Amino acid sequence: MPYSSSLIRAIRSPTDAFETLARTDPDPLAVFFRQIVWLALLPPVFAFIGASTFGWRLGAAQPLYLPSDALTLVSIGYFFTLLFGLVSTAFVGRWMAPTYGADGRFGIHLALVGIVAAPMVAGSAFHLFPHVFINLLALIPALIWSMYLLYKGLPIVLGTGPERGMLMASALIAYLLVGAVTVLGLTVALWASGIGPSIGV
Amino acid sequence: MNAVGLHRKLEENAGLLIFGILFVSAIGGLVQVLPSVMQESLVAPEAGARPYGPAELAGRDIYIREGCGTCHSQQVRPLLAEIKRYGPYSRAGESAYDRPFLWGSKRTGPDLHRVGGRYTDLWHRLHLLDPRSVVPNSIMPAYPWLGERPANVGDTIQRKMRALRMVGHPYTEAQIEGAPQALEGMMEVDALVAYLQGLGVSSDGAAP
Amino acid sequence: MANAPDAAAAEPIRGPIRETYRDRVVTALVAFSIIWSLLGMAAGVYIAAELVWPSLDFGWEWLSFGRLRSLHTNAVIFGFGVSALMGTAFYSVQRTCHVPLFAPGLAWFCCFAWQIGVLCGGISLLAGWSGGKEYAELEWPFDIAIAVVWVCFAVVFFGTIAKRRIKPIYVSNWFYGALIIVIAMLHIVNSLAIPVSISKSYSLFAGAQDAIVQWWYGHNAVGFLLTGGFLGMLYYFLPKHAGRPIWSYRLSIIAFWAFTYSYIWAGPHHLHYSAIPEWVQSLGMVMSLILLAPSWATMVNGIMTVAGAWQKLRVDPALKFIVLSLAFYGLATFEGPMMAIKSVNVVSHFTDWTVGHVHSGALGWNAMITFGTFYFLVPRLMGTALYSVRLANIHFWLALAGTMLYVLAMWGAGVSQGLLWLSLDEIGEPSFSFKDIMASMAPYYALRLVAGIVFLAGAGLLAYNLFMTMRGRRTVSASPPASDSESQP
Repeated sequence: MPYSSSLIRAIRSPTDAFETLARTDPDPLAVFFRQIVWLALLPPVFAFIGASTFGWRLGAAQPLYLPSDALTLVSIGYFFTLLFGLVSTAFVGRWMAPTYGADGRFGIHLALVGIVAAPMVAGSAFHLFPHVFINLLALIPALIWSMYLLYKGLPIVLGTGPERGMLMASALIAYLLVGAVTVLGLTVALWASGIGPSIGV
Repeated sequence: MNAVGLHRKLEENAGLLIFGILFVSAIGGLVQVLPSVMQESLVAPEAGARPYGPAELAGRDIYIREGCGTCHSQQVRPLLAEIKRYGPYSRAGESAYDRPFLWGSKRTGPDLHRVGGRYTDLWHRLHLLDPRSVVPNSIMPAYPWLGERPANVGDTIQRKMRALRMVGHPYTEAQIEGAPQALEGMMEVDALVAYLQGLGVSSDGAAP
Repeated sequence: MANAPDAAAAEPIRGPIRETYRDRVVTALVAFSIIWSLLGMAAGVYIAAELVWPSLDFGWEWLSFGRLRSLHTNAVIFGFGVSALMGTAFYSVQRTCHVPLFAPGLAWFCCFAWQIGVLCGGISLLAGWSGGKEYAELEWPFDIAIAVVWVCFAVVFFGTIAKRRIKPIYVSNWFYGALIIVIAMLHIVNSLAIPVSISKSYSLFAGAQDAIVQWWYGHNAVGFLLTGGFLGMLYYFLPKHAGRPIWSYRLSIIAFWAFTYSYIWAGPHHLHYSAIPEWVQSLGMVMSLILLAPSWATMVNGIMTVAGAWQKLRVDPALKFIVLSLAFYGLATFEGPMMAIKSVNVVSHFTDWTVGHVHSGALGWNAMITFGTFYFLVPRLMGTALYSVRLANIHFWLALAGTMLYVLAMWGAGVSQGLLWLSLDEIGEPSFSFKDIMASMAPYYALRLVAGIVFLAGAGLLAYNLFMTMRGRRTVSASPPASDSESQP
């Protein structure tokens, strides 16, 4: 089962890809190792390369450079955060499935999460030049695209029908928003407690 | 009777419900806010603190009128980086004569609690009337009208000082009587500059 | 849990009822609320533009950022928000009590006196009358006027409850009731002041005490007005949209009392690392974290109520707004406690992250649920169909995009500011000058301006859509049901 090609098709003709996916019975482990791991790996690799080459540009005059061991640590943390985010979203989706009359197979939830995340991962190529605002600008269209895929794909892939699909997609958005702000808060709290460039707290 | 049954009583009696809401919501205030409002030491002026003079008081009210506190805090936190950037951290005893307090909640511009003595009067004047003449990238609004209006009209300043004396600010009758003369010829911008130049220096007598 | 008892499972009715509900005052309040939403959000967009192009005030004091900003907050909170709450409270209290409004003349007084108060108050803020306390800027004459109108509001609301024909008081009325009672308490205490002239007064509290009182007020104005009041709206209109009772009645009881008890403690998290006593700060932080539980309990109750009523989405364009408002409610009520944790607050405080947090609540939760309610309510008040479902759907996507862009821009700006301000170089001096950091915010502020324009455009569509729905029509008259069998909720 060529998962990577299903990703590309999801970008070219999403409805077809979603309908095909709905008919298959993906094995969760296969989806995880052939798709999810790579999706979670690409952004940290881009970030590592970008940050070690150009430094982090938060907008002010000179870029911030991290010592390479700290940078490695941050990149690994990024990888596991993304991995956790992708897998946990699939779990949350499966947990909600009975409420919205959705397909309860874990593999299909994981595959859907992979497709929805693909535009964001593609947008993360901008980590290669880690200027915060440029990344923000690049990730906004990617995010809109991902949200489009979620609202469009979820009802088809999970067979919920458009109404319940819309509700379930919104519930997942709530989970992801909370997840995003948690990551933001954790990062800031870790930074404030001495991991990262020195700040005077 | 179970909890839902008990609650039935509450939700079938409007008076009981109103009392319940008032009681439950007041607990927090009574335990947390009331003791703070009773705690005299919180508003005891620290050694060297003095009530604002006429010019500073007029300036402070202009600061409030123009909403300066929307973008400028006056609260240096006890963090290394803030002490390095702004100066000694803010203490409760420095705000004893602040009605209202102006600690702020947002720093679109920098903190101002230790700004006194950092710049010359002339710099402040230019900066207030046209910020971009001294700080090219500044996004602060210009306040040209401050240069065109007298700092005091009639007995305004005296009424203000009398009102503050009622709540315990130790102004003497002589100070109040002399206030209009002290503001004679000053424009609003001069009063505001006087206020800013006094920030952070009035209590320990030295700019950081 | 779907069969949990509903609050309006009622006593038998005492006799045939022939009066009609007093709905014209509701229509007027909804119309005023829409006008204020446009004015208030336009002021917001304008000050957002001033942060990009500071000379937009043309050196004219009435357009100066510091004054226009308090007009923005007052117009959206007290104009848009309170008018909407008052209108929906008048609408729902009649229907949950099966009686027309008590003292309808007083209700009309509340409606017009409030509008005049907000209008004159707004003008006074532009003229420079300001008490200087955030979200309580209006000077003492307006504080007194607000208190008077508020008491009249209470008389109408609780008077209607007192003459109700259904014995249990429905959940939405607990929240509206808490809004009226607690806001009165907060407003009166925080506004205590010594007047100097008609346009100037000095706070009765000084310094650190004033700070504690102000944030007790400020935080709970958010709590009982922007959260609690709008939860009242949710608890009435969501079951109406969904055509079924609220998912769990028990959960709503627990959530309500836990919310009322714990919200009031959380104010001092606005004063972390300040000169107020350490125990007050710590208590504020702990209670902020506890607050998450009742906040989310309500969210779960809402989400589960909609989840069972998905068929309605096909015929009810407004339900989408309510669904999404719950998502942003979940975000804002999680983000708030998180930002109250000291080690997060140390970075987030004083930055644009706070502004983003407020707007994820104000745009994503308050405005969205109000929009959803208006799309539902106005056609019913007019006895007709919504003018355009298509425009409402476009509005939905504009509102979602505007809120998301706003929140993202402010997250980026806020975290950058927080870290750059605190960053120290090798010799222990600040790495970046304040000026440089401020200048680097320009692109975020531009993005925020775009977000605001997108959101305002959506609100403009709503105003047009509802204007066309109302045009040439009058509020239809509705009577309390003859029997209680159809009394949901």
